[in-house]
Amino acid sequence: MPTIEIDFEDLESLLGVDLPRDSEKLNGMLSYVKGEVKLLEDNELHIELQDTNRPDLWCAEGVARALKGFLNIEKGLKNYRVAGTSGVEVQVDPKLKEIRPYIACSVVKGIQISDTLIREIMRLQDKLDETYGRHRKRTSIGLYEFDLITPPLHYSVAEPRKVRFTPLEFEDELTLEEILDKHPKGIEYGHIVRPYPVWPILMDSKNNVLSFPPIINSNDLGRLTENTKNVLIEVTGTEYDTVLNALTIITLSLVDRGGSIYSSDIHYPYEGIKETRTPRLKTETLKIAMKEIKTVLGMDLKPQEIKDLLKRARFGVPDIHETEVTVEVPRYRVDVMHPVDVIEDIAIAYDLNRVSPRWPQLSTIGGTSPEGRLCKVIREVMVGLGFQEVLTFTMSNLDSLFAKMNIKGETVVEVANPKILSMTCLRNWLLPSLIEFLSKNTHVEYPQRIFEVGYCIISDEDAENKTRDVEKLASITIHSNANFTEMKSLLDGVLLNLGIQYKLEETEHESFIDGRVGKIVINNEEAGIIGEVHPKVLENWKLENPAAAFEISIERLREATRPRIS
Amino acid sequence: MRDARGRKSVDKIVETTGLAHAGVMRAAMSLGESGLVKSHKRKRTKIHLNNEGKGYATNGLPERRLIKALIKLGGEAPIDTVTKEASLDKELSLIALGWSTRKGWVRIEGEPPRTKLLREPSEEPDEKLLSLMNREESLILEELEKELQEAFSLLKRRKIIEIDEETLRELELTEEGWKLIETGLRVVEEISQLTPELIVTGRWRETNIRRYNIRAPVARVWPGKKHPYLMFLDEVKEKLVAFGFKEMTGPIVELSFFNCDNLYMPQDHPAREIHDMYFIKAPTHGDLSSYKHILNNVKETHESGWKTGSKGWGYKFSTREAERLVLRSQTTPVSVRTLLSKELEIPGKYFSIARCYRPDVVDKTHLTEFNQLEGIVVGEDLALRELLGILEKFALDMAEADEIRFNPGYFPFTEPSVELHAYKEGYGWIEFGGSGIFRPEVTLPLGINVPVLAWGLGVERLFMMRAGIDDIRYLFTQDLDWLRRRGMI
Repeated sequence: MPTIEIDFEDLESLLGVDLPRDSEKLNGMLSYVKGEVKLLEDNELHIELQDTNRPDLWCAEGVARALKGFLNIEKGLKNYRVAGTSGVEVQVDPKLKEIRPYIACSVVKGIQISDTLIREIMRLQDKLDETYGRHRKRTSIGLYEFDLITPPLHYSVAEPRKVRFTPLEFEDELTLEEILDKHPKGIEYGHIVRPYPVWPILMDSKNNVLSFPPIINSNDLGRLTENTKNVLIEVTGTEYDTVLNALTIITLSLVDRGGSIYSSDIHYPYEGIKETRTPRLKTETLKIAMKEIKTVLGMDLKPQEIKDLLKRARFGVPDIHETEVTVEVPRYRVDVMHPVDVIEDIAIAYDLNRVSPRWPQLSTIGGTSPEGRLCKVIREVMVGLGFQEVLTFTMSNLDSLFAKMNIKGETVVEVANPKILSMTCLRNWLLPSLIEFLSKNTHVEYPQRIFEVGYCIISDEDAENKTRDVEKLASITIHSNANFTEMKSLLDGVLLNLGIQYKLEETEHESFIDGRVGKIVINNEEAGIIGEVHPKVLENWKLENPAAAFEISIERLREATRPRIS
Repeated sequence: MRDARGRKSVDKIVETTGLAHAGVMRAAMSLGESGLVKSHKRKRTKIHLNNEGKGYATNGLPERRLIKALIKLGGEAPIDTVTKEASLDKELSLIALGWSTRKGWVRIEGEPPRTKLLREPSEEPDEKLLSLMNREESLILEELEKELQEAFSLLKRRKIIEIDEETLRELELTEEGWKLIETGLRVVEEISQLTPELIVTGRWRETNIRRYNIRAPVARVWPGKKHPYLMFLDEVKEKLVAFGFKEMTGPIVELSFFNCDNLYMPQDHPAREIHDMYFIKAPTHGDLSSYKHILNNVKETHESGWKTGSKGWGYKFSTREAERLVLRSQTTPVSVRTLLSKELEIPGKYFSIARCYRPDVVDKTHLTEFNQLEGIVVGEDLALRELLGILEKFALDMAEADEIRFNPGYFPFTEPSVELHAYKEGYGWIEFGGSGIFRPEVTLPLGINVPVLAWGLGVERLFMMRAGIDDIRYLFTQDLDWLRRRGMI
């Protein structure tokens, strides 16, 4: 969820109204844009926005633009016009096709640039680069002092060591390769271009470097100051539409500050690309059946009402009648992909709390899963036998599952990106979780008897997800007299109550004492293990009392009880 | 006690009655509780000689040996001569000279020094005690004559005596005890535990079952109990079943296809990065061959909207990415699998409580592994009103909220999306759940042509509120004592 940092008074002046300096009250208003105050201190206002797909809201201008509609300050489509052509033509090199093929430019003239504004623009640029631009991989934005640039521009490629220029915040000229090694932005984003033999470069007709996209701008041309009046904006990227969208959003935020828009022409050498004049501001037209609105909302709204609600959500409504509404969607609304996106805005403008809730009139029969029912019975029996139920994590680590249990490592499902050392894989047996639990309670009164019904995850080459979730029951008793016999009576008690016949067969298992361990066999199939815990295991877990345990597959128990519990 | 004129030590009582020591003590305690007997404690000091002392007792004190030799030598002799005569070694010589001068038997004078007899002493108290102690195995200090008690402190200084202190218990009949003896005792066997034998033989009639101090503390027992959080989830399940919801299940290791793609999350979405999802190390990818048809629908929907009426995300969909295995990061894939299942009933209501995983740092409010409660309602004529209806019911019935509020929400897979906030006296406003109508981009590729309402509830927060805990780590607590002491209600 993006959090934006804006200036409280700036937002007030953009809206043209006073705002309450109270988080609760602001939240009521911000809920229209799915926002929530995270911080309000002096003039600092941080808003967390839930919608990750509304980059138009990631600046004060965008929030103000949307809120004006919902607050009835200014409704309907805001008309953004191109004042003329800037004369900036961009020639694109075909060698960029596989590297970073697209570029879009606009010029915004006649704006008063203040410190606050520079900060606002930088924050928006950063947010767009990081989130919408996927850390500059998909799109990245550059802003320049237009008056210092001599069009036409060349968006082409350069060899890493051939071209040099002074990057932002530096005093000396560096080659592109040196920038990747030395400049903080080069270090951060260099991986995007490094795989290629040649790297993108944007230059003007005098061969002055504007930028090395998506890494860094030139310190000479790519820096806005309080004296800047006219700004050249450029976006490069890997997807045609997202490049245009990013340009639209950042251009309009400058225009909302009083600038006028001038277009530029992009000349692509690729086949099948029509639009070359940027920015793209033309609205999109969407026809929505009135029936669809009713279906989604479950309410019968009058066409006039729908029209008003749409306008409050800042859509254009050139035509509406009983069966259909024509909606003009502004270009900055990149989230609108389907009529439902517009219909939701109708509901938001209407106010969700005015909609009367209705419990669905569906006749359905409820029920818990068959797996769950047997587990419930088993848990009842275990509790009746005096065992405390515990709840542990299914994530574990190889040391706990194997080394500390005195057994050889087995194949388990490991995660590629563990966050902590104690959680690197999924457990394939349950007992280590219980023993770990006991190891945390050596100071607590004995005897201790605990159990868990929980999932273990087993590799399975044949399954579509390459694993199988296996539910197990494990139980352990620990106190100065704990032994195999005690646990066997308990196992007997559990299985007897489930009406299951079982056999114990001698087996070897290094976690248990030799000669005091057995395989639990039900219907000639191995179902689990029971034994007295090996002193080495107790030592490994720093336990000072004898312990005995069993672990048994719920699946086997289910098969054995199927005719009765299902 | 009567025969001993009302006062006797416990040891003596044991000796004369032949009863066990513990039995006498128990009887004394119960007689004490009835005010018939008083108990006194007395200190007793047992003394006996150590090896050095036994040597002195046998050979005489060193100073006595010196005196005897000196007399033999005529009452005056050089030191070396007299100690030689008395066959005292160097150490004993020093002791003998020291004590004989201190006792005023001898004087040492001249150069080289000579010993001169002052008087010939008869047997003194310390020597009496020494020989007495040599005869008896041990003596009770408190029972000795005064003269000998003084001699004891003298010998004690010479470190030849071992001392054992013990406490002697003495019982004394009280006035009431005497009265009872005068009026006559009826002897009835008193028992502390009724036995099968006593019942069967009927002999219990001749016994007195000892009264207990019912206020005395007893040993604690810890009943077996269900885990409080699981118990709460059982309760939630029960409610949902009563509302007509069926439980659904799904795998922990999921294909990205179900965890993300089917939920219309674009493949380069930030929530699909390593910070937000656990990936499987090996094998890294699963098998989608049994979903070919659906896969194609989903792919086209992502790329261009397919037949859903959507524009789609407009990027190149990768099947390989969809096959990537992850740990389920949300419960919604379980809903997707249910929608795909042959057993899906329309209309239908489903719920699932599933373990989910996210690589978060664990703290008071985050777990890396947690449970989510989610569900779907599938059927004709379901709209925003029904969505709010479900949330309202849950808020009132499960959270027992006093007031509720709906806010616009956001999930990549639902539109419209609604957040549920509930107000509860004493807790304030809390975000309690989220919901939405599945986007057509989610349902249509799965072949579902009716609305699907999806909802999720913050069960963890609800439980924490109920249980009065503010640290989410307690849901998976490893504190046995906490589990034992927690009340069931």
